[in-house]
Amino acid sequence: MVKGKVLVIDDEEIVRISCSRALRPEGFDVQLARNGVEGLGMLGKDRFDVVLTDLKMPDMDGIEVLKQVKEGWPEAEVIVITGYQTVDTAVKSIKLGAFDYVEKPFTPDKILAAVTAAMEHKKK
Amino acid sequence: MLNRKSIHSLTGKLIMAIGTLMVAGSTVFWYFLFSHQERELIQTSIKYGHSFVDLVKKSTRYGMLTFQELLIQQTIEAIGSAEGVIRVRIFDRKGKIAHSSDKQDIGTILDIRAPYCQNCHSPAEASRKIPTWTITKDSNGYRVLNIVQPIYNEVSCHTSACHAHSRDQRVLGLVEANLSLSLLDTGIKKQGIAITVYVAIFLCVISVVLCTILWNFVTTPVNMLTKGMERVAGGDLDYHLDIDTRDEIGQLAQAFNAMTSDLKKAKNELVEWGNTLEKKVQEKTEAIQRAQAQLIHSEKLASLGRMAAGVAHEINSPLTGIVTFGHLLLKRFPPGTEEHDDIQVIIEQANRCSTIIRGLLGFARASAADKAHTDINDVINHALNIVKNKADFFNIKLITDFDPVLARVKADPSQLQQVFLNLIMNAADAVEGKGTITIATRTLRDDTADFVEVEVRDTGPGITDENLEKIFEPFFTTKPVGKGTGLGLAVTHGIIQDHGGKIFIKTKLGEGTSFFVRLPAFREG
Ligand SMILES: Nc1ncnc2c1ncn2[C@@H]1O[C@H](COP(=O)(O)OP(=O)(O)OP(=O)(O)O)[C@@H](O)[C@H]1O
Ligand SMILES: [Mg+2]
Repeated sequence: MVKGKVLVIDDEEIVRISCSRALRPEGFDVQLARNGVEGLGMLGKDRFDVVLTDLKMPDMDGIEVLKQVKEGWPEAEVIVITGYQTVDTAVKSIKLGAFDYVEKPFTPDKILAAVTAAMEHKKK
Repeated sequence: MLNRKSIHSLTGKLIMAIGTLMVAGSTVFWYFLFSHQERELIQTSIKYGHSFVDLVKKSTRYGMLTFQELLIQQTIEAIGSAEGVIRVRIFDRKGKIAHSSDKQDIGTILDIRAPYCQNCHSPAEASRKIPTWTITKDSNGYRVLNIVQPIYNEVSCHTSACHAHSRDQRVLGLVEANLSLSLLDTGIKKQGIAITVYVAIFLCVISVVLCTILWNFVTTPVNMLTKGMERVAGGDLDYHLDIDTRDEIGQLAQAFNAMTSDLKKAKNELVEWGNTLEKKVQEKTEAIQRAQAQLIHSEKLASLGRMAAGVAHEINSPLTGIVTFGHLLLKRFPPGTEEHDDIQVIIEQANRCSTIIRGLLGFARASAADKAHTDINDVINHALNIVKNKADFFNIKLITDFDPVLARVKADPSQLQQVFLNLIMNAADAVEGKGTITIATRTLRDDTADFVEVEVRDTGPGITDENLEKIFEPFFTTKPVGKGTGLGLAVTHGIIQDHGGKIFIKTKLGEGTSFFVRLPAFREG
């Protein structure tokens, strides 16, 4: 049984793979997008429970993705992935409606915990 | 030049004016005095002349009354031979010379129209008082006094036995005497010379006295004033005029002294002002330079921060991969197996990388570190364990000299570890793989606080003054590209400052370098 559908938006392959390798064995359906535009396109085709997005990306940054997701698909929870330099932005993103933020480098347990918490929050 | 100057000087002019006045004045004075005296002398001479002629008349009277012509002639001759008497003559009524001291004259008849006779006999002169004397000049230029007296008819004359004169005749003849005034003339001449000499001497004395007075009261003080002005103009404001007379020059000197002292005061104020201004400008310049250096430093730190942030972002993603896959691997090997431990090391070191980056960011942003009570000896041992097995350290003698009861400090251990790693790596680079690195810890005490001091000493080449200045600047390195980034000491400095500590260097070229780190000791309570 699928625990939930997760969309990972990150411009770096290693982060995308890390997320999918952390979540898939735990029963999540993980889809990957290389940038904000691609991610939003996938959101239009499919329904996702949780969206993981990097903050610092070329073209469209994580904050923009967060805004559009919260506008178009308010039922999806957004978790922001940040580097150290974007802690301020992480706080800002929480104010904009993100569920949580995860600092890089993260362990599989951390990302799993964050996604699980988001799922539980959604079910209530 | 000197002459011209003395003539144009005040003294010269005054002396010229006074001298001219004196010469003119005394000339006029002496002229009048002299001519008056001369007139008096002439009058006296005339008086004496008349009494002389009287004497002639009286001494010849007897001869005349007794008609003894020879006696008369003898008497006349005798009188005529006296000193100062040139000639004595007796004329009869017809102008014939009856007797004369000069015998050759006797018998000569003077023409009545001769100018000599016209004196009395000119018809126009009848009403006028007949002058009885004249003054002529002799061949030597001396004056001659001529006295003429008529011989009047007396009773005894026309009653005398000779009956030479009738009764109705009024004037019987003339007695004339020519008296030399040469003595008078020479006397006057001598006197004139004497007076001229006296006047000259007098003028000289007066001039000398005047000169002296003017010299003392005008020229000398004026010269002093001039010299003073020159000195003052030349910048010598300490010059003081020693003229304390009560006259105008004394007042001038006082005004001058007041002026110089005022000038000096003003100048001193200016100089002082200039000096303080210079000092102020210097202080301000230094302050500006310091601020500028600070600005450059913080600008460098800011750019370092930007770079560090960029690097952190780039590196965090690969680290995410390492950590994630490390954990995934870890699950495949049960704890206790060698693989499990190895993977553990990989994860640990990846985490350390992340910590170092966090430290770099912290340094760039001066973010608060997680400070805890830390034993610095432990931190150093930890750092040494990391480097010990590196090939670079095989030939280096590592000596530790720890204070066993070292005070604790409040610090972030991972940041401190970074500090000591930097210092130890630098020392190892300095000794170039062979030499001695000594690490000592000690507790220091001063009046207000305790400190923990760490010394990292090497036997390297030392640091030049030039490099010493820039050693804490980010990106300053003498090491080849790829080996040194120049960030080690900059980060170290930032961390130590962040911990309220101090870092300083003692170095001697050819002998080695000591880096000292001092951190405030933590005090209970
Ligand atoms: N113990 C020492 N003896 C002599 N020179 C030193 C010593 N420590 C530092 N230096 C000099 O200071 C420079 C700056 O040191 P710093 O640690 O900041 O940078 P680095 O060692 O060159 O590079 P990095 O530490 O970033 O790898 C060095 O290049 C070296 O010239
Ligand atoms: Mg270094």
